[in-house]
Amino acid sequence: MNRALYVAKTGLEAQQFRLAAISNNLANANTYGYKAGRAEFDDLLYQNVRMPGAQAGQDPANTLPSGLQLGVGVKAVGVQKIHTQGNLMITDNQLDLAIDGKGFFRVLDPEGNIMYTRDGSFQVNQNGDVVTSSGYLLEPNIQVPPNVTEIAIGRDGTVLAKEPGVAAPINLGQLEIAMFINPAGLESVGQNMYYETIASGAPVVNNPNNEDAGAVIQGALEASNVNTVEELIGMIEAQRTYEMNSKAVSAADGMMQYLNNNV
Amino acid sequence: MDRMLYVSMSGAKEALLSQANNANNLANATTDGFKQDFNQFRAQHMDGPGWHTRSYSMDERPATDFSAGPIKVTGRALDVATKENGYMAILTPAGDEAYIRSASMQITADGQLVDVHGNPMLNAAGAPIVLPPVDHLEVGIDGTISVVPAGAPANEVVVLDQLRLVEPDHRQLEKGLDGFIRQVPGNAELGQADIRVINGALEGSNVNTVQALVTMIELTRKYEMQVKMMKTSKDHAGASDKILSIR
Repeated sequence: MNRALYVAKTGLEAQQFRLAAISNNLANANTYGYKAGRAEFDDLLYQNVRMPGAQAGQDPANTLPSGLQLGVGVKAVGVQKIHTQGNLMITDNQLDLAIDGKGFFRVLDPEGNIMYTRDGSFQVNQNGDVVTSSGYLLEPNIQVPPNVTEIAIGRDGTVLAKEPGVAAPINLGQLEIAMFINPAGLESVGQNMYYETIASGAPVVNNPNNEDAGAVIQGALEASNVNTVEELIGMIEAQRTYEMNSKAVSAADGMMQYLNNNV
Repeated sequence: MDRMLYVSMSGAKEALLSQANNANNLANATTDGFKQDFNQFRAQHMDGPGWHTRSYSMDERPATDFSAGPIKVTGRALDVATKENGYMAILTPAGDEAYIRSASMQITADGQLVDVHGNPMLNAAGAPIVLPPVDHLEVGIDGTISVVPAGAPANEVVVLDQLRLVEPDHRQLEKGLDGFIRQVPGNAELGQADIRVINGALEGSNVNTVQALVTMIELTRKYEMQVKMMKTSKDHAGASDKILSIR
């Protein structure tokens, strides 16, 4: 069957994949702590139809100088997360935390495994535990007593609380931040959460604002780092390339049709 | 039966092969760092007794177009592209050196600097680049990799290594069956060249889509002409059968 048809099919699939990645970025343009993903492609192997240097005729001196190698299309390598810092949005909410710099908050999933996130919109559940907006516990756990009037979280992650009638603030605990050598290798599982993988390396846990860990900013959230202009340009490019590849499919189809109708 | 059928059949078959090459260029119109392949037909003369009346066409890939693609600014610190005729070197899975003009680099868990497919980037000495834990990495204009080590203050920049940059002669480069660009065997090893590196940018594919679409139309029509000739030879055969028919 016509080889060009299958090559063009890979082109269509690649652009479809790219559009899916772009629309996911656009859908999350206002998701706190979201990191944009970039579709990466790779040209596939080449097949040798004619070896360079093969005999072109009876005369041994007559050899093919270049031969014919045909590429078999394109494939998506994956979606690479771009871990650049998003803008800080001031919310003045006491439990809204943003990380200014590297690192992730650690939270526990229902099975007790550690997940990592940069979305710091925390709240307090019925037991007084600090949880994410999806209800996952912060690790290490921070308990807020019921009668607290004010919580102050320093850049270094110390959590202090004020109780009415008590002059000295009470210390509720210490936030910790996990760093990875290759954050792009983390596995995203939705809800702004990531799991550690072999590619990301093991986490290095540190106090905020200490060594290479970012500082915790209270009363702010990190906005998504999606560059909408770039995504829209990517969308135009993906759509037009898709159209071109569909033209190649029609051309291959037309050739087959012509052959069937005329011979 | 006239042998013209076989000549036009070969023409149609080679047009199909060429269409596949063109479709591959189009499929990679947005593959970063892709270099489009040229394609040409060559007349292959049939030698033998009698008149020289048969020339078959033969499709081939004479070379790859190594001209630069458009530069796309991404702003990501680990995206690098080279300028002018420069290339960066990577280590292929086959264990030899290949050249790229655009790399969306990553740091692996064991601190190696690799491209997006996991092929190690090479340093000026030709060895894979290994990084300590870093806070921040910057690639300079001449490929110098400077880092702020983990935990160090932001003004403590350590120069760590330099990317291997080469300036090969384009006529001595070839694209292998695995898609990697290498030097044609038999050439001397390339030395470190003075090439400018752009940080925070990637090079797009250099496929000329307009040209590819025009080529596609041209090849389609060329194919149809060959098929028409095949039909003509069918008509010829029918007519000569008629001469010999009794009624």
